Amino acid sequence: MNLWLTAAVALLPALAAAGWVAAVADIENRFVALELGSTLTVFMLMLLSVGYDQPSFIDLGLTVVLLSFPGALAYAHFLERWL
Amino acid sequence: MNAGDFAQIVLVALGVAASWLAAFGLLRLPTAFARLHCVSFAGAAGGLCFMAAVLADRGGDPLGFKSAATIILLLLTGAVFVHASGRALRLRQQALEDRQ
Repeated sequence: MNLWLTAAVALLPALAAAGWVAAVADIENRFVALELGSTLTVFMLMLLSVGYDQPSFIDLGLTVVLLSFPGALAYAHFLERWL
Repeated sequence: MNAGDFAQIVLVALGVAASWLAAFGLLRLPTAFARLHCVSFAGAAGGLCFMAAVLADRGGDPLGFKSAATIILLLLTGAVFVHASGRALRLRQQALEDRQ
């Protein structure tokens, strides 16, 4: 287990904390926790990509960034108007 | 262990510490507005530390380049997200207060 994989595993408690807040808090705090969770997921995918020496893995992280942004904006729009 | 390896370890440790601090803030801070700071802190501090560590290890190879692109994109979209979500939360709270 190298430095990068150790760091990816070390991020799991932080991701679990974001998941716990997303599961139990009210809708506004869930929104914030979801975004922190997606940020931590990108970090973990990047670290796993370097740790396993697989450049193709980082495409998944890039995709998470590109997809979570419009998702978060849509969530914000719904939160503002209808939820 | 040379200076480059030591720098990588320090940068990765700082990135993990920033992520833990953001998660701790998410658990402890009282409101959604205060918790938004944790999201931008994790993206900026953690992202820059991890990006610097990967670039120190890989340099300009495809993995280093894609990692840098991912973090820069995360920083740009994170700034827009925090602004948009802060606005949405404020309008929502205003609407809820008007309803009461």
